[in-house]
Amino acid sequence: MVYYLIICRSLTYAQRTAKALERAGITSYMTRAPKHIAKEGCGHGVKVAQKNLESALAVLKKAELSPKQLYITFGDNSYREVSL
Amino acid sequence: MIYLDSAATSLQKPHSVPRAVSCAMTHLASPGRGSYTAAEQSAELLYSTREECGLLFGESNPENIVFTSSATHGLNIAIKSLVKPGATVLISPWEHNAVTRPLHSIPQVNIQVAQSPLFQPEATLRAFARCLTPQVDVVIFTHVSNVFGYILPIEEIAILCRQRGVPFIIDASQSAGSLPLSQEELQANFIAMPGHKGLLGPQGTGLLLCRSKHITPLLDGGTGSASRRKTMPQDLPDRLEAGTANVCGIAGLRAGIRYVRQQGVVSIQSHEMKLISYLAQGMSSLATTFLAEDSTVQSGVLSFQVEGWDCEELAAALGRRGFALRAGLHCAPLAHKSAGTLEEGTVRASVSPFTTKVELDKFLCTLSQLAKQGAF
Repeated sequence: MVYYLIICRSLTYAQRTAKALERAGITSYMTRAPKHIAKEGCGHGVKVAQKNLESALAVLKKAELSPKQLYITFGDNSYREVSL
Repeated sequence: MIYLDSAATSLQKPHSVPRAVSCAMTHLASPGRGSYTAAEQSAELLYSTREECGLLFGESNPENIVFTSSATHGLNIAIKSLVKPGATVLISPWEHNAVTRPLHSIPQVNIQVAQSPLFQPEATLRAFARCLTPQVDVVIFTHVSNVFGYILPIEEIAILCRQRGVPFIIDASQSAGSLPLSQEELQANFIAMPGHKGLLGPQGTGLLLCRSKHITPLLDGGTGSASRRKTMPQDLPDRLEAGTANVCGIAGLRAGIRYVRQQGVVSIQSHEMKLISYLAQGMSSLATTFLAEDSTVQSGVLSFQVEGWDCEELAAALGRRGFALRAGLHCAPLAHKSAGTLEEGTVRASVSPFTTKVELDKFLCTLSQLAKQGAF
């Protein structure tokens, strides 16, 4: 299954992001960022399904929440950065 | 024991507080450091506590809410972030040592006190406006005097600070959970508060509401984020939360905040003000009380002196009879100096949402006996 991983600047920011999506009815779940993409070491992010990405980014923009980075993952442990 | 020392710490807690502490101790792990249930639930506890705190204090951004170990810890962060060596700082005459000692620790700080009489908010505002010269770099005011319960007009002071562009730090040690307090209205650079007084949480907890651009961590260390960086992250709350959080304490704090929100701060304030009026009335012939003419400018704190009694000896005599009050200078020599009680000190009675009139009647009866018999 294809997911997008929204990398956030801190755990609390990821929690804010997840709550904003939850309030908008978008399913997401929080996760620690995989080591090889957490450039500064130990990062936090929120995963959303591919079909929800567009509406999720719209919700975050409205809530004035800025993702740090965005990755696409195909469920095979590979991550490719996508421009925001 | 009849507990009348809630200005020091809230001894009587809602049952939910110790339950939450105990549950956290055996079920919650280190927040933000793991991808297993106990760590994730711990992180969720911290976030929901920030949310509850934000709802109580009008702070819509949970990132601006930092967990501290006490109001003193928060005040030290605030002061050391904004007050540089040689700065001029304007403070109220009712400040605690939690403000004055950190200021004295900074080299060549010029501390100016906006002197004005007790329980006179208009005079307080006039003195403040007069002292707020262009030389003032930072303003620090307590919301409520821990010795006398005087409620200072911080809303008006915040407006003046904003108009003049002067950073403002508020010590909400005696007001958080007992009086309405809104960061949305105040827009202070920092508001520091304990978790264990009006918020009814455990000792060792505190909160710092931050809206300052200049933030200097007191502690450096692990945050569970940006670990390859050699210095603390720039983003709040991580910047100020090095080390494993006091998860058990925060669990209790959340339960305390929930109780306060359920009861309503206005309802708690009204209950405490009524008790203080009742207590002062009962003490009118027994003691010299420091009582506001206008009851709306006094919180649930009443200082008093009894003729023929040293304040410490009176508090000790009351203690032996099962009444818990605090005497002396209450870590606020500046406040006592301002009120003219620095040499003799006072005995302080302070109430909580759990204090009852029956308890005050018992206290008044015992105080009456002691006042009649004298110290010897």
